[in-house]
Amino acid sequence: MSTSAAAPALAKPELAKEARRTVAIRLADPAIMLANVSLLFGLLLVLFPTSFPRIILENWQNARLTPIMILFSVSLSLGLYLRVAHRRAAKPGLLAAACLGSVPVIVLAVLNFVLQATIAHTFSGDLSNVPARVDEEILAHTFFALIAAIFAPFLIIRVAQQFRRTDS
Amino acid sequence: MVALNITGLTADWMAAKWLLWIGLYVALGICVPWALTRAWANQHQSTMQPHLIKQLFQHGELGLVGLMLAISVVWDLQKSQYLSYTIALGSVFLAMCGIMSGSVWVESYCRRSSGIRFTPERAWRDSRSLAFLVFSLAVVTEILLDRFAKVAAQ
Repeated sequence: MSTSAAAPALAKPELAKEARRTVAIRLADPAIMLANVSLLFGLLLVLFPTSFPRIILENWQNARLTPIMILFSVSLSLGLYLRVAHRRAAKPGLLAAACLGSVPVIVLAVLNFVLQATIAHTFSGDLSNVPARVDEEILAHTFFALIAAIFAPFLIIRVAQQFRRTDS
Repeated sequence: MVALNITGLTADWMAAKWLLWIGLYVALGICVPWALTRAWANQHQSTMQPHLIKQLFQHGELGLVGLMLAISVVWDLQKSQYLSYTIALGSVFLAMCGIMSGSVWVESYCRRSSGIRFTPERAWRDSRSLAFLVFSLAVVTEILLDRFAKVAAQ
C-alpha cells in the first residue's frame, strides 16, 4: 500500500522534469513546410508566368521585397518551432527562438548584397537581353534566399543540439 | 496555320520537359525498385509482401534518391548561363539539402550496425520529408533554369 502510494509521488517530479525538457528539432520538421513553400512558388510561376515575377520585381524595385521576405520567413519559422514544441509537449528554448528570429534577417540581408553585386555584374558584362536576364536573376535569388532563410536557422539549431549532446 | 499550331504545341511541350525529367526520377528511383521487389517476391513465392513503398524504403533509402536528385540539379545549375553568384547560391543550398537527405540513410545504417535504438518509422518519415524537400526544390530550380534558358537564347 505504501509502495503504491509512493509511486505517484515519485512520478510527479519525473513528469515535471519531462515537461520542462527543451524541444529537440529534427531537420525533417521544417522540410515538409519548406517543400510546400517551394511548390507554391513553382506553381505560381507556372500558372502566372508574367504577373507573379512582375509582382516580385515591382516589390524589389520599391525596396519592399527584403522586408516582406524577412517577415514571412521569421513568422513561418517561429510558427513551425512553436507547433513542434506544442506537438512534442516540450518547452521552447530561448536561444533557439533568438536564432529563429535573427538568422533569417542576417541571411536575407547578406543575400541582398549578393544580389546587388550580381545585378552590377550583369550590367557591366557584354551580354544580350540584359534587362530580362536581370529579372530572371532576381527571381532565382528570391527563391533561393527565401528557402535558405527558413532552412538556415533550423540547420544551426540542429547542429547546436548535436554538439550539446556530444558534450554532455 | 497548322504548322504554326504544331510549333506552338512543341514549344509548350518543351516548356514542360522538367515535368518529364522529374517524373523519370520518381519512376526509376521509386516505382521501378518497388515493382522489381514485388516481381522478385512473386517469382520466389516469398512470404515477403512489400505492398507499400514504406516497407521497401524503411531504412531511409529515399534519402539517397534525394541526394542523387540534388546532384543532378546542381550539375544542371553548373551548366546554366546564370551568373556565378546565383549558381553558387543555388548549388550550395541544393547540395546541403541533398547531404541532409542522404544522412538519414547514413544515420539509420550506423544505428542498425552499432545496435543503438533504431526506429524504422522515424527513418522512413525523415527520409520521405527530406526527399520531398529536395524534389520540390529540384522542380522549381528546373522551372527557373528553363525560363532563364529562353531569356538567354533571345
